[in-house]
Amino acid sequence: MSEPIKVDIWSDVQCPWCYIGKRKFEAGAAEFDGDVEVEYHSFELSPDTPVEFEGTPMDYLAQRRGLPLEQVEEMLARVTGIAESVGLDYDYDHVHQTNTVISHELLHFAKAHGRQLEMKERLLKAYFINGEHVGRIPDLVEIAVDLGYDRAEVTEALESHRYLADVKADVALAQEYGIQGVPFFVIDGKYGVSGAQEAATFANVLEQVRSEKEAV
Amino acid sequence: MDAVTLPIPIVGLQPLGDAAADACDGDSCLIPDHHEQAVINRRLDDNAV
Repeated sequence: MSEPIKVDIWSDVQCPWCYIGKRKFEAGAAEFDGDVEVEYHSFELSPDTPVEFEGTPMDYLAQRRGLPLEQVEEMLARVTGIAESVGLDYDYDHVHQTNTVISHELLHFAKAHGRQLEMKERLLKAYFINGEHVGRIPDLVEIAVDLGYDRAEVTEALESHRYLADVKADVALAQEYGIQGVPFFVIDGKYGVSGAQEAATFANVLEQVRSEKEAV
Repeated sequence: MDAVTLPIPIVGLQPLGDAAADACDGDSCLIPDHHEQAVINRRLDDNAV
């Protein structure tokens, strides 16, 4: 039996293509006849965004890009449609644009407990589907408690920023790799796959990597 | 830090997959050009342009 193929994924909680790409990657990994070991890494698309951003994601994009609100709404409607095609019900009317650094700290907290993948899914769902705030410590604590974590432990971890250095290390590693956009998949430490690829593409890439590993 | 599980950076990852796949780049997540063109095509089909 061959050893699992390691896939390191750089992603941000408020990245619509990351959630869509997650679903497509999962479908591709399911098609692939082999074991895959996934580890998520932090990437901050907008590290300067305030936790309490006054406005919607539409406002945010319009302000940042100088685009007419109507054009931004049309763009997000299209992303919502693409998300729906992979079974995700994005609700941009209730999304809280925010700074995601503490949610990344929570992901590292969960990783330290061996439950990173579960937390990643929960945070993406919180942001895009549930309309939950993923930038404030009290909201993130409730999400963690909802998953069964100890309230006092997770509160202490987030308030002390115990995992902030891990978040920054992930971001630095992304810079070393030259990663500029997410989702970004590093497969077997050697191959780079950028973006929300189709499921079949992910399956083919995994097969190719396995073949090359076995040929060595 | 869980350094043991971090991959070792290798300068110049070998790219695989579709280089035009959708991704968030920079401070926001815009729709790539091919989606814009798809929408324009659809609007043309709908006689909306």
